[in-house]
Amino acid sequence: MRIKVMKFGGTSVATAEARLASAMRVIQAKEQGFRPVVVVSAIGRRGAPYATDTLIGVLKEIDPSVDPDPRELDLLIACGEIMSSVIFAHLLKTLGHSAQAFRGGQAGIRTDGVYGNARIVGINPVSLVKALEQGNIVVVCGFQGVYVAGDGAPGGELTTLGRGGSDTTASALGAALKAEAVEIYTDVDGVKTADPDAVPAAPTLRRVTYDEVAEIAHLGASVVHPRAAEIAMQYDIPLWVKNTFSDDPGTVIVKREDHPGRRVTGVTHTGKLVYVQFDLSVAAQEDRIGLESRIYQTMAKYGVNLFMLNLNPSSTGFAVPRTQYPMVRDVLDGLVIPLGEERRVYLFQIGTASREVETQATLLEPFGTVRRVKAELTEGCTMVSLVGHDYMQQPGLFLNVLTTLMDGQVPVLQTSDSDYSLSVLVPEAETNRAVRLLHDRFQLEAAS
Amino acid sequence: MRRSNNRTETISCDDSPTTPPVAAQETAFEKQRGISRVETRVGFCQVYVGQLSQPLSVHRLAVLRAIASSGISIDFLKLTPSGLSFVVPEGLRTTLVDVLQGLGVQHSTRPDRTIIMVHAVNMRDEEGLIAEIVESAIASGAQIDHIGDGHDHLLLVLSSEHAPQIAAHFEQTLMGGVWRQKRLTKSA
Repeated sequence: MRIKVMKFGGTSVATAEARLASAMRVIQAKEQGFRPVVVVSAIGRRGAPYATDTLIGVLKEIDPSVDPDPRELDLLIACGEIMSSVIFAHLLKTLGHSAQAFRGGQAGIRTDGVYGNARIVGINPVSLVKALEQGNIVVVCGFQGVYVAGDGAPGGELTTLGRGGSDTTASALGAALKAEAVEIYTDVDGVKTADPDAVPAAPTLRRVTYDEVAEIAHLGASVVHPRAAEIAMQYDIPLWVKNTFSDDPGTVIVKREDHPGRRVTGVTHTGKLVYVQFDLSVAAQEDRIGLESRIYQTMAKYGVNLFMLNLNPSSTGFAVPRTQYPMVRDVLDGLVIPLGEERRVYLFQIGTASREVETQATLLEPFGTVRRVKAELTEGCTMVSLVGHDYMQQPGLFLNVLTTLMDGQVPVLQTSDSDYSLSVLVPEAETNRAVRLLHDRFQLEAAS
Repeated sequence: MRRSNNRTETISCDDSPTTPPVAAQETAFEKQRGISRVETRVGFCQVYVGQLSQPLSVHRLAVLRAIASSGISIDFLKLTPSGLSFVVPEGLRTTLVDVLQGLGVQHSTRPDRTIIMVHAVNMRDEEGLIAEIVESAIASGAQIDHIGDGHDHLLLVLSSEHAPQIAAHFEQTLMGGVWRQKRLTKSA
């Protein structure tokens, strides 16, 4: 049985026209001799009536200060994919093709018990195979599975897979069903060398490696989720990114050894970040570890996503997504830490002193000297990154990037690098220009 | 450069018999949460260049230009308030110092650095994991010179003297079934 897994994202199922275009892709695959296994996301993106964000918003509207229970939140947000799968299966039937919709659990997808970010631990696709053998096109809800506790609780608990969950569902089903290919359908032609908003002429890459696509996703672009890429890599399944609405051949994601060579793959950028730099020069030498440790412990406790970490003898800093910044401020501003046998008192101040910080300082005065650990804020910045393959160890690469940006009058606030990428922190207003400058400098318009 | 002749050692994740069944099954489709492997790469040198004249950006570029012209690849470049810092292979330290002396810039080096590479798949999706690794490293008492991150790893530069201690610390606190069970329990 030749199986092809075809995943359709939110924009590919958002409207009747989009769903019809998606359905025609499925029918075409069937006519080519494949048994299509369709994976669908919820209908539409942010703002659409049944999109995941809209459903979460319904709970938030009740009382924004009360976080929904993760278990019940999973039950709610899984509804978007369930509706989508039923609608898509029905559409296929109206077009003359027998089809059957499946929830994640019905498709045999078992996960661990982490609500909201579950990982797939196993798949028993027996019901899917049976449906396929009966000539049905199967339509599976992306983004969800079921957790069966160790004691064998009846029915199990519905779980969702977190970011990129539908891509992950598609890849995992591809592996479980030994599919010939997994195709991720979206509204762009494939993996681009840059965000088309910044570089309208950014070409589509015909081949990229799993590592390259994972790094691009790590650094802010939403193409294929790394989890999906990893599963495809592990099980050696060709993973394609294609456009539902065009006949462009798309991008195939392959193993490192299948696409060797030294190259710059693309330029990517994150969303809006806030850079927070703590001045530790006021601290006694023996207290610095305690202070740094407390800062990162707090960030870990509250699940803050850190970018561009920087540690040096007199300071430490990192960038956080702007959406997480209010929480960072809430938990650190006014924090009082006594350290050492003499109980030296440190008071954290984030940005300009708030009334709470001044009140804390006044209250602490009777207990001796209070040392303020001030954090300088750089709001409105973005991380722009050059992603490459066996390229980051080139002598002069930093020089090349910094010179390009300096010549283009783009200020660089900080830098960081890894084996796969080189990143610069720039003012948000300069994002597109920085991306364009680097895209031009590394001649990515000729990439393929 | 990091993949050059420097010695590499790897500590793999080896679940203890007490690993819960759920964690043990995870590899069936997805890689396990948390740290899967710790690698150490020895033979590096940390370099600080400071007290550069204004305009700082121009003088930083002059330093980088001279280094590039000598064919030296640098890693972990950070912009500091009065200059920059970076890491080079230990074997290139003498050449680099000659370059910096030739430029007449104030500089210092910390030899005998090790890069610890902490492998953890999809770090961005495990909220707080990066901060947890950094906190764990700092709490162990070692002075961390630099940190960098990729989609599946975190890189820490520190003295070779402290590296085995940190690697062991990661193994005890963040690797294997104990950490994953903690995260699963937290969610449940």
